[in-house]
Amino acid sequence: MPAPPVVGQPMVASVTLRDGRERPVLGAHLEFRGFMSHPGMAPIVAAAAERADGVYEGRLRLSMVGDWIIVVTGSLPDGRTLTRRIDIDGVQPPA
Amino acid sequence: MPPEASAADVLRWPGVGPFLRWRHARTVLQLVFLLVAVIVVVHGLLGPQIAPANLATVLTWVHYRGLLVVALLAAGNFFCTGCPFVLARDVGRRLRAPSSRWPRWLRTKWIGIALFVGVLFTYELFDLWALPRATAWLVLAYFAGALTIDLVFAGATFCKYLCPIGQFNFVASTLSPLEVRVRAPETCRTCHTADCIKGRREGEGQRLVQRGCELGLFLPSKIGNLDCTFCMDCVQACPHDNVALATRVPGLELVDGRRRSGIGRLARRWDIAALVVLFVFGGLLNAFAMTTPAYAVERWLSRALGVSAEAPVLGALFVIALGLVPLLVVGGAAAVSRWLTGGATSWLATAAGYVLALLPLGLGVWLSHTGFHLLTGALTVIPVAQSAVVDWVGWDMLGAPRWGWTGLRPASVFPLQLGFVLLGALGSIAIAYRLAERDFPDRPWTAAAPWALAAGVLAASAVWIFSQPMEMRGVGLGG
Repeated sequence: MPAPPVVGQPMVASVTLRDGRERPVLGAHLEFRGFMSHPGMAPIVAAAAERADGVYEGRLRLSMVGDWIIVVTGSLPDGRTLTRRIDIDGVQPPA
Repeated sequence: MPPEASAADVLRWPGVGPFLRWRHARTVLQLVFLLVAVIVVVHGLLGPQIAPANLATVLTWVHYRGLLVVALLAAGNFFCTGCPFVLARDVGRRLRAPSSRWPRWLRTKWIGIALFVGVLFTYELFDLWALPRATAWLVLAYFAGALTIDLVFAGATFCKYLCPIGQFNFVASTLSPLEVRVRAPETCRTCHTADCIKGRREGEGQRLVQRGCELGLFLPSKIGNLDCTFCMDCVQACPHDNVALATRVPGLELVDGRRRSGIGRLARRWDIAALVVLFVFGGLLNAFAMTTPAYAVERWLSRALGVSAEAPVLGALFVIALGLVPLLVVGGAAAVSRWLTGGATSWLATAAGYVLALLPLGLGVWLSHTGFHLLTGALTVIPVAQSAVVDWVGWDMLGAPRWGWTGLRPASVFPLQLGFVLLGALGSIAIAYRLAERDFPDRPWTAAAPWALAAGVLAASAVWIFSQPMEMRGVGLGG
């Protein structure tokens, strides 16, 4: 993601999955879910596509200034589920 | 104000009337709220620590807060009716009856005011709206507070003198369209048992079979909704079926200067006047703190004070918003009003008496703020509940979470917010005029003008606040 993230700008969120032997994990089905810090606000959801070995990308457009929580969720090829939380603080207004 | 001849009695309406008169009606409502409280505590402590995805934060800061204000405006203090903390306390009293009475010198609102400020401050300092676990602990703290106090002290001590939610509800309910009051005053004049406040006793041992008003409100001299929790104990206790849930003109009780049972004269209650100040200016502060300019103000205060920790900066903001600004606005209006009318009463008495006029605007601000979150996020409880069930049972028993379900678009709610603030301002001007008409019948607009201007200034401030971009951060300074 760009630093600092800016409201309304399309951004590419990218995660890399590796197993315990540092090998890329292929074929996972992931989704990025962006939550604002206040309850009652609409989350933004973006499906992740595998762009390279173990690299999954999704396009997000954060809709409000402030702190966001990006939850990467999905399933691995072996059926296990995955959930990771990434805090994005201080999303800025457009210049 | 004497009971209006045209007032309707909700207790006589089909359906809702028999329900509210049913002796277990309150318990049913309390059980519903208890279930909600249990869900809030359990999911808050054990669920995902993401506010929009946790029932604790969604149900508390979106639904409870919003519906509370709506209920007060549409009906009355029914959230106190269904209070689960009182249910827990009643169960506790079966094990340990209280043996003390709340000290006379503490029978004011000052502690409740301090706790109300404390909750507002804690809410901002720790961003309770963003923290499911902290929200759950807040609910548990309320249970602990109600049990601790009311298992020691008799009556509804926690409700009347301490509960921050209760203090909020009491002042807001002065603007409710319903009031618990005597149906026929002449019937009370022939009553010698005063069951409405003493309770009803039966049998050889005169066992208490129905308690009376635990908040010390004697129905024949009860005026208005202050300190009334709509518990309906008086309805159950009255042997003459002489208590009504009557319709009325909202806010008119603020003009009534008579001595009120359990309250005294409003004009002499500095604590209630302070509570009104907190209600009005606390609402503005609570809304302001979620906007981009608020963070700019905090950064400026941080530089000016030479501190980087959030607590002292927030403390300074609270002193300004709840101390200096009210002193300027309310104090200024009181000074000008005294000057225009010849200064028959002291500055403090004028301020304390006429600050009541700002209540409608204050409620408009709270409705605008909490109503925004309710209207824009009302449906989020569905996907959050669906997700909670998936986490709990392992499959989507309630269906796959519909994360797209939220509520109205924020832009479509803004006109409603403006309307709420405008109606509140008009209500404040009307109350100011009625107060002035009572005190200065020959020149009411002269006396009311400064207060009308104050209401206008505060309304303009509220409109500016609600037009600012929202910015919600987990950390107050520096993002």
